[in-house]
Amino acid sequence: MKHSVILLSIGALLLAASPAQAHLMNSGFGPFYDGLAHPFLVPDDLLPVIALTLLAGLRGARCGRWVVFALPSAWLAGMAAAAVIHLPSGPVWMTCALTIVLGALAAADRPWPVALVVGLAAVAGATHGFGNGRELAAIKGGGLAMAGIASALFVVSALTAGQLATLRAHWARVAVRVAGSWIAAIGLLMLGWSMRTGQ
Amino acid sequence: MKLRHAVILLGLLAVSPATHAHELRPAYLEMREVKTGEFSVLWKTPMLGDMRLSLEPEFSGEAKPATPVSTRTTPGAAVQTWTLRALALRGQTLLIRGLDSTMTDALVRCEFADGTTWSQRLSPAQPSALIPARQTAWAVAGVYVQLGIEHILFGIDHLLFVLGLLLLVQARWMLLKTITAFTVAHSLTLAIATLGYASAPGAPLNAAIALSILFLGPEIVRMWRGETSLTIRKPWLVAFCFGLLHGFGFASALSNTGLPRADLPLALLTFNVGVEIGQVAFVGLVVLLERSFRQLEFCWPVWVLRAPGYAIGSLGAFWTIQRTVMMFR
Amino acid sequence: MKKQKTESTKLKTLRRATRISQGVFWAAVLMWPMSALAHTRGGEAIGFLSGAQHPVSGLDHVLAMIAVGLWGAQLGAPAVWVLPVTFPMVMAFGGMLGLMGVKLPGIEIGIAASAIALGFVVFREAKPKLWLAAVLVGFFAVFHGHAHGTELPPGGNGLLYSIGFVIATGCLHATGIAIGLIHRWPAGRAVLRLAGGGVAVAGVLFLWRALA
Repeated sequence: MKHSVILLSIGALLLAASPAQAHLMNSGFGPFYDGLAHPFLVPDDLLPVIALTLLAGLRGARCGRWVVFALPSAWLAGMAAAAVIHLPSGPVWMTCALTIVLGALAAADRPWPVALVVGLAAVAGATHGFGNGRELAAIKGGGLAMAGIASALFVVSALTAGQLATLRAHWARVAVRVAGSWIAAIGLLMLGWSMRTGQ
Repeated sequence: MKLRHAVILLGLLAVSPATHAHELRPAYLEMREVKTGEFSVLWKTPMLGDMRLSLEPEFSGEAKPATPVSTRTTPGAAVQTWTLRALALRGQTLLIRGLDSTMTDALVRCEFADGTTWSQRLSPAQPSALIPARQTAWAVAGVYVQLGIEHILFGIDHLLFVLGLLLLVQARWMLLKTITAFTVAHSLTLAIATLGYASAPGAPLNAAIALSILFLGPEIVRMWRGETSLTIRKPWLVAFCFGLLHGFGFASALSNTGLPRADLPLALLTFNVGVEIGQVAFVGLVVLLERSFRQLEFCWPVWVLRAPGYAIGSLGAFWTIQRTVMMFR
Repeated sequence: MKKQKTESTKLKTLRRATRISQGVFWAAVLMWPMSALAHTRGGEAIGFLSGAQHPVSGLDHVLAMIAVGLWGAQLGAPAVWVLPVTFPMVMAFGGMLGLMGVKLPGIEIGIAASAIALGFVVFREAKPKLWLAAVLVGFFAVFHGHAHGTELPPGGNGLLYSIGFVIATGCLHATGIAIGLIHRWPAGRAVLRLAGGGVAVAGVLFLWRALA
């Protein structure tokens, strides 16, 4: 609580985040805002989202428009599916592989077909959403938290892709590519890690 | 087609927090040390209809009521008072029993004989806290900043009014002036009302706030049609006038939580800071999103562009009618 | 006339405000991973710190990474940005092999050799074809990554460790490239070559230590 004052500058939503039940952080503002804060507080979910929005932003406005809707709706669909169907969530190597592919595509900065990017957005959204969904379905206000997550994803992807879509400066694109490369590298290390721990 | 569905979905998402707003009123526990080891306790719990929420404060150490509990009910809340005998309240853990099965929070405030105070906010996720040896002004400030942010984040009527202003004002410079005028106005009345110089009755105030939202709807439509009006020429003036009303609204929210007498200026200031943080975050988010949509070259169908304006008008009208009816019941 | 002038100053202020707000936005974007680290469950931030510490704790590794940046700066575009884009991925690939338990012979020798080779090319201001430079750097990157992969402490949070590790490595490259900017002045070129020579000599010492 005392630290909240220091953290004010970072943002209202992060104020009271403290350890809470399974993965969903407690923002102190109820389940909707817990969900809203979730993608920013959980690096496992944040990395592929950043990689995807970087990729979409590099590919331009049209691709960005698609991803802005494809990612949150696929995520929401994944969460809803997990609440209904009781299946174990996907293996860790799958989410790692997705992160690697997304980061590497952004790092390469080629004119990838829009359909490929949007397809990857749907797959990544559904996979991660499915991973979130089971925990969320079990808690009170889980539906609101899901709505919060989807809203946050929409806002993040619109803001990032929107700001990047008009990037023309060469160095700026290179900076984005380096960021993509870093994300792919983190994904590779995570893949090795998951194999070592045998998940 | 897909786009259209997604937009409807997002619209629903945006409105959904409102459905829970009415359960927000927190419980309030005040303990004042009247003489060493004796605390006069005020325990205010929100009512759901005629039912008092079953919440009870519990201490981990030795703390016994010295007088029987007297109960009275005010509209929306039950107030209980008693005297608590506890030699050492500091160092004990306070638990609000039953809080974890509600959706509401509890504000706790303790005034010790040595003049120091302790404030804490307990939530369903964290229904207990240790009463520490001392609490700094920073901690009090933290509690009220959070309360202010929360009030604006859940106060869908305030956000809708600000959204209306955002839709009405296109030029950035004018937007800055308008939002500043709104901020100055509501800070003024918030301070005046909290310090007790003026007050506004609750029911008509709520209806008037709803009316301010309804007022913006037709003005937005007028702007689309290329017509002009005083509101469109001088939006800051309107923002200022209605801001005075919204300030009374904030003040009633702040006084509902039970205000610490000793830290009143600090609590007032930090609550206002919290409200402004929430408001700036909202305005910044909307402006940045609008910019991003432009850069992503979205071609929204006309009805999507018009929807927020009509939503503000219709919600304002609905609330005005609803709250006016409530006034006469 | 005067009114127009004030309008234009207002516009300028606004434009500046927009730019600042954009800056704040990007700063917030950059801060998010940090806050994510600050808020994860008890003790996991340690993972990030130990990950970030790892690449800068071994002098052999630090010198080789900086030498990559120096060489990139000497080679100029496109190498100066191709290297920092590809290097993290190749190194992470090596790290993945190390984590999976794939044995690579002569890791310590390879790392020492990388310092010698990279120091030498900087000293000689060698300008091979881009693909050749990339293969050379990539070859050594696998060794560096592998060493870090196998040395990874048991327990702790793998993801945060990886994030810290990659960010620290990237910062080392950036440092090398930033130092390499002095390449545009004749005196700076000489200093760079000297620094390359220094790295190569240090590499010989590492090799001697690895063999002894």
